[in-house]
Amino acid sequence: MPLLEVQGFGKRYRGKRAVSGVDFSVERGELFGLIGPDGAGKSSLMKAVAGVLAYEEGRIVAFGVPVDSERNAERVKGRMGFMPQGLGLNLYPELSVEENIDFFARLREVPPAELRERKARLLAMTRLAPFRGRAMKKLSGGMKQKLGLVCTLIHQPELVILDEPTTGVDPLSRRDFWAILAELLNEQGISALVSTAYLDEASRFHRLALMHQGQVLDQGTPEEILSRVPGSVVQFRSRVVAEVVARLRNRFPQVESYGSRVRLFLPGVAPEVASREVTAQLQGVEREELEVLEPELEDAFIQLLEEQSEERGPDLSPTVGSGAPAATFGLGAPATGERETDSRRPDRPRSGRPGQRPEGEEVMIEARELVRDFGRFRAVDRVSFRVRRGEIFGLLGANGAGKTTVIKMLTGLLPPTGGEGRVVGADMRTSSRAIRQRIGYLSQAFSLYRDMTVLENIRLYGGIYGLHGKALKARTAWVLAMAGLGGQEREMAGSLPMGLRQRLALGCALVHRPRVLFLDEPTSGVDPLGRRRFWEILTWLSRSEAVTILITTHYMSEAEHCDRLALMHAGRLVADQPPEALRRELVAEAGELLELEVDRPLAALECLKAHFAGVSLHGNRIHLFARDPEAARRRIGDRLAGAGLELRGLRRRVPGMEDVFVYRMGALEAAA
Amino acid sequence: MRLWLRRLRVMTAKELLQLSRDPVLLIILAWFFTAEIYIAGSGISMSLKHASVTVVDLDQSEASRELVARFRQPHFDVRETGFSSRAAAAMLDRGERMLLLEIPPGFERDLEAGRAVEVQLQADTTNTVLGTLATSYAAQIVGRYATDRALDELGIGDLQLAAMPRIEERRRVWYNPNQVDPWFMSISELMTVITMLSLMLPAAAAVREKERGTIEQLAVSPLTPFQILFPKVIAMTLAILAGTAVALFGILLPVFEVPVKGSLPFFFAVTALYALAVSGLGLFIATLSRNLGQVSMLVIVVLMPMLLLSGAWTPPEAMPWLLRRLMVISPLYWFIELGYGILLKGAGLEVLWDSVLGLAVLGSLLFAFGVFRFRRQFG
Repeated sequence: MPLLEVQGFGKRYRGKRAVSGVDFSVERGELFGLIGPDGAGKSSLMKAVAGVLAYEEGRIVAFGVPVDSERNAERVKGRMGFMPQGLGLNLYPELSVEENIDFFARLREVPPAELRERKARLLAMTRLAPFRGRAMKKLSGGMKQKLGLVCTLIHQPELVILDEPTTGVDPLSRRDFWAILAELLNEQGISALVSTAYLDEASRFHRLALMHQGQVLDQGTPEEILSRVPGSVVQFRSRVVAEVVARLRNRFPQVESYGSRVRLFLPGVAPEVASREVTAQLQGVEREELEVLEPELEDAFIQLLEEQSEERGPDLSPTVGSGAPAATFGLGAPATGERETDSRRPDRPRSGRPGQRPEGEEVMIEARELVRDFGRFRAVDRVSFRVRRGEIFGLLGANGAGKTTVIKMLTGLLPPTGGEGRVVGADMRTSSRAIRQRIGYLSQAFSLYRDMTVLENIRLYGGIYGLHGKALKARTAWVLAMAGLGGQEREMAGSLPMGLRQRLALGCALVHRPRVLFLDEPTSGVDPLGRRRFWEILTWLSRSEAVTILITTHYMSEAEHCDRLALMHAGRLVADQPPEALRRELVAEAGELLELEVDRPLAALECLKAHFAGVSLHGNRIHLFARDPEAARRRIGDRLAGAGLELRGLRRRVPGMEDVFVYRMGALEAAA
Repeated sequence: MRLWLRRLRVMTAKELLQLSRDPVLLIILAWFFTAEIYIAGSGISMSLKHASVTVVDLDQSEASRELVARFRQPHFDVRETGFSSRAAAAMLDRGERMLLLEIPPGFERDLEAGRAVEVQLQADTTNTVLGTLATSYAAQIVGRYATDRALDELGIGDLQLAAMPRIEERRRVWYNPNQVDPWFMSISELMTVITMLSLMLPAAAAVREKERGTIEQLAVSPLTPFQILFPKVIAMTLAILAGTAVALFGILLPVFEVPVKGSLPFFFAVTALYALAVSGLGLFIATLSRNLGQVSMLVIVVLMPMLLLSGAWTPPEAMPWLLRRLMVISPLYWFIELGYGILLKGAGLEVLWDSVLGLAVLGSLLFAFGVFRFRRQFG
């Protein structure tokens, strides 16, 4: 009998269906994942399982007891541990690490002797022991989540329910968290139900369910899900990305561009055929490094979404990507009521070919030794960078790394403690209002007025920037077309789904045709399809409109879209390069990324840790870095054989930005 | 300049739109400007009405009954006449009766014998105003009875009395000749409501933008802090003026028949000026708060001293010297001077110019301070 069984689960909020028809089960010792964007219903499901949320439909049976009433829930609560969503939200900020643990232990009536023993073991495992006396509020995000985990585990539950434990945590701490969880599961035989919004974490789970809009799209092991959405991924570089994308879109639904790279998914097409088909479409177009890859879970997820999604964004994606966006997007006179010194026309060809970032042009954003202190805490520490016209500059880092503070200093919302930030050559603190006319800003909160309609929001922001009459009308039409909101003009902004709200907010930030755009985590919580569309718009803005974009994100997979990336950690800039350069550097320094399939992953992990760099566990597979793959294959085989383990498979993988980040951070910490 | 005005108009329209979409705020506005004022005007009264009296008449004579009969409606309400002082005292203790009148045995006999007699009055003065009124009215009644008895004894009739030297009191009550409480109470409640909402509404509108993060969007735009804040004040002042009109023409005039002696446009102009002044204080509160809960707490903190120092509850003359000096910093003090002055006394600008000036100066200072605080916070 499974440890946890969910059948036909459904939940409504004020009559509105949030989740419906969910079936899954968790076996003993299993790490089961719920993956999906915000609003997919993950939290409702987890709360219901934990017995803290009443539900209307279906059955939840935990440890053989139906969780259907207050009384029955109490019977199983002692055997479960629940960590709600939010960094350290279940903890008490003023209490120390140890006091927090003791409090939860007393709540759960853990005998003192056992508490001492367990506390020591868990603190050692999470490496929190040196911080026993530190107040919880002074811990980093990663440490808070580890403390949360310790508090959830202090009564030795058999099933832990963790709601988005890694959201907003830096990649290094995230890996650490997964490693600790894997170790606990292995050592103590506990099972875990974990949710995440990061698709790239899917490989961490034994089995998982992909959730979207309250329903399970698919479930199974990562391999099973991938095998159900067969197909191939073709990737190549080109100097005329926009043209290529336009051509390929006619035939293939999933085409994406990342800087100078194009990546497309061909559902149901075998690798050999895929390469031929794509090549046939690319007659007479220069391209290089064409390779065929295995699809990843994100490709599968998006394919599943496309198949069942009724909200197929209007004519947005083809138009944005196609070579002639001016017809749809370029309408309207210059957007300002104040004197517009910028004489560029929307349809005027820019220097350089389309799809190619104009090079060597003026610096639009510049940070010079920016410092910001909050009391004794240094949030931003001597950060310097430059962003040129038309560039997409990505600022990557965890919550609390200082990304938002940098943006706030650049936009003039926050005075720097030291250093200087300049936008279009002016310091925003002291700049005239006219300069502000040239920048657009989209904050984490999607600054829309939720109690106003789509149209009212656009008109308000247009009015604020001095638009009126014909110009306002034209820009309103532009925003509606860009955001794919035609026909929904009279809906309240608050009632729109996340993805649409995000695009509306972007439209409002663009209504006055700013030359510089600041985006602060614009994609958090948005589903992968919505995120892709969002990036298509940004790429189009940068390439065709020469808008300079500074964007922050904690989705490492999005970083590939940027022309240049700056990694931030604890207020410092760790790197500032194009993604390709970062990747090349990583391979040069650490070696190739290899993925191993072994029979007993945890034993293999222990065995290999001492001999290779960057050894980490991903579900049942192990990742590591090796300079010479061929020599490494032999060495790995030998090491594993020596420990009585079997190497079942080994393949090379292209390292992602997360690998880069983790490697850099590890090197920094080692140097410190 | 045209752009400047257009931005102001766009933002004001936005505030009004948001206000019209907020059912909670609309209900609050409707409640305070109608029901609240009606209740205050008709319910709360500072005069003695139907004070419950229990009588312990141990004499049971013609004289004692005559005295008791003089405790009449509308001021007093004699509920029962008993014999046990203990039972009556218990009723007083339990708060069931307000007054206890005890007439000793031999009351009539002693009176006729020309000896001094004493009656005992016990009063519950938990409410000091009513307690004081009750005891003084009762003393008057008893005194009057004694005088009447004495004149009777002496055989002095009305004719002789008219020939005797005495001082006659003739009262002229101005501005509220019948001393109708609802006039005073409803006007003072209206002003309290205006004060509270002028504090609350702009502060709530500003802090809501903070909570939702939209304030940053506005702060990075070419809008100046003044352009961001002033539209909120304009919109909320318009709402408050509309509410005042409803209260005035819907409750005060038709229900309580408050006579309007002065110029209504002048009254509305003064109300607008006052709402603007108090809004500045509200904006200051908004800069100190992070959410609506904190706004409400701070509004109470600010509102209480404003009310106490305004003269709405206690006449200025009754206050200690220091507090009386401090009253000038309560905008409500100026407003009440102006409000009563215009509505009940029919005064115009030529009389009230100093109050208008005081309000204007105070208002500009408060508003400038609010904007200054906001600028410090959002650049």
